[in-house]
Amino acid sequence: MAGAGGGGNDVQWCFSQVKGAIDDDVAEADIISTVEFNHSGELLATGDKGGRVVIFQQELESKNQPQCRGEYNVYSTFQSHEPEFDYLKSLEIEEKINKIRWLPQKNAAQFLLSTNDKTIKLWKISERDKRPEGYNLKEEDGRYRDPTTVTTLRVPVFQPMDLMVEASPRRVFANAHTYHINSISVNSDCETYLSADDLRINLWNLEITDRSFNIVDIKPVNMEELTEVITAAEFHPNQCNTFVYSSSKGTIRLCDMRASALCDQHSKLFEEPEDPSNRSFFSEIISSISDVKFSHSGRYMMTRDYLSVKIWDLNMESRPVETYQVHEYLRSKLCSLYENDCIFDKFECCWNGNDSVVMTGSYNNFFRMFDRGYRQDVTLEASRESSKPRSVLKPRKVCTGGKRKKDEISVDSLDFNKKILHTAWHPQDNIIAVATTNNLYIFQDKL
Amino acid sequence: MVGRGVKRKLSDCEDQMLDLPYPQQRQLVLDLCLDKLQSCQRRAEPSLHRSVLLANTLRQIQREMRQEGGPHPESSPPAPATPRHSPDLPPVPSDRPSTPVAALSSSLLCDDAQSTCTELPKGPGSEDGGKSPDLMFGSFEITNSTSYLTDLQLDDIFEDIDTSMYDPSDFSVLACPPPRGSSGASLGNDYNLKAFSTCTTSSSTLQMCLNDLDHIMEILVRS
Repeated sequence: MAGAGGGGNDVQWCFSQVKGAIDDDVAEADIISTVEFNHSGELLATGDKGGRVVIFQQELESKNQPQCRGEYNVYSTFQSHEPEFDYLKSLEIEEKINKIRWLPQKNAAQFLLSTNDKTIKLWKISERDKRPEGYNLKEEDGRYRDPTTVTTLRVPVFQPMDLMVEASPRRVFANAHTYHINSISVNSDCETYLSADDLRINLWNLEITDRSFNIVDIKPVNMEELTEVITAAEFHPNQCNTFVYSSSKGTIRLCDMRASALCDQHSKLFEEPEDPSNRSFFSEIISSISDVKFSHSGRYMMTRDYLSVKIWDLNMESRPVETYQVHEYLRSKLCSLYENDCIFDKFECCWNGNDSVVMTGSYNNFFRMFDRGYRQDVTLEASRESSKPRSVLKPRKVCTGGKRKKDEISVDSLDFNKKILHTAWHPQDNIIAVATTNNLYIFQDKL
Repeated sequence: MVGRGVKRKLSDCEDQMLDLPYPQQRQLVLDLCLDKLQSCQRRAEPSLHRSVLLANTLRQIQREMRQEGGPHPESSPPAPATPRHSPDLPPVPSDRPSTPVAALSSSLLCDDAQSTCTELPKGPGSEDGGKSPDLMFGSFEITNSTSYLTDLQLDDIFEDIDTSMYDPSDFSVLACPPPRGSSGASLGNDYNLKAFSTCTTSSSTLQMCLNDLDHIMEILVRS
């Protein structure tokens, strides 16, 4: 698998598809809030602010067009969560889907977990493409025949029918979180999963909905002392006893569930000492980790804070092994970004299939890729302008000072309302899904 | 001068804020912080994460200012720092209180039955910026409201209402108008007393209404 592209590397990214409304008037409910490929990459799920889940399926590669990978088309759409009302606080519990996580496929059906702020649901997505026909139990008009008039035994036969994809909720995991759920993660044992809110992490069995185990609780006895919240959590991809959680203070804790039932004591604490030359009023805010992801190998983990992406070796707690600046030019703009609340934006990050490249989003519908091996990075844009089929994306550049070159964009011209918070990378191929506010872009490498 | 309400142009690569002397930068950030904390509760989707970050920034600035030995960080006149603990709902504050927590606490206090703050908050002497973030952070809990209502005993809802002022024995004195005629007296008295003995409610409001009604009756009958 090739790398990030640009420079001496041979990957070129091409536009493939865009999903969602074309007009600039964005309906609040259509704002995409999560994007996730399943384990084979055949299915791509998105969740939105309106509580809906849309699943796209990749078409089988056509023999007529061997140069193209299959397109993603709508496979299933369903309403996962509805808004709820908390009468005591006069607050609405949003139906926005915060996270979707697929379960590894065990049989013909697909399963995914979707969560809003309060409730996690397990959905079964199954296909029906046959139906039994040939019963002789009913009259022409549909009424049941008198059983005494039925003199022959006719065995119904399965006949093909138009494909129907059904999504049904199989489990509802409710009432376990007092605070807003920010993460869910399926364990490698495929029997359990964790859910994390601002102050607690719970462990569930996929079969049991009325009980969960609390495995992390950082709520202080005296809420006055609250200075740190949990921002993300994930299970290790191979070790079913290990998980990590990140905090608003820029730390990551690795916990081993074998050590004790309540994992308040971490096994490892990953923290990079602050660079004193970069200290500002906003140092703590920009150090808050918005996403944490293990590499597929399980040897590394990646964290995203406001300005950078860091790769950590699980064997070294003192500092990350690699740091990539996503948009360092924003460091001198922190006060403005604080004023307009952009400084609180939570960007996600993802690995490619062989852990050689990482990707994350930025503003102005830009997204960035960092090739760890070739030490190269590239900035690309998800926009309607570069949306001609199979057109190669041109690398973008932000001018950080001095004379602006042609094709560069100056920092002041960046549109901070166009943010790419959610991105996903196909588990095997160079296919990426990038979510702008209400559109989903799919890019592939040029074959 | 960079401030609220003044339109600013982003200069070529630096925040204009960075041109200001440090104390003014700090004041700007402090003002923004207080604004945001106050608006936190008004938002449709309150975020504990955001509030914690803001509170930490605020504490950091206040600590720094205190270390410099400067004046109290809040420049506006001190608003009542101790939130009321009576069952009466406090009025919505019209002027901007001096601390973010005072601002939040008065709006949160009585509509937050499940708040973790059960102890009295500290008095006005406490200068710590996180005076009772308990009240600030306590409202972020999502409750399962339907089960809360079914689990609750109805008596619990009313148990903290102070009914000491409304001694039922007082009613008999107020409720019985002076007898107009000897024949009607005992009947009237009995009727009134009986009416009150059936009013076995723990709600002070109901008693107050009855009180008023009888007072009016008294006046009408007299006239």
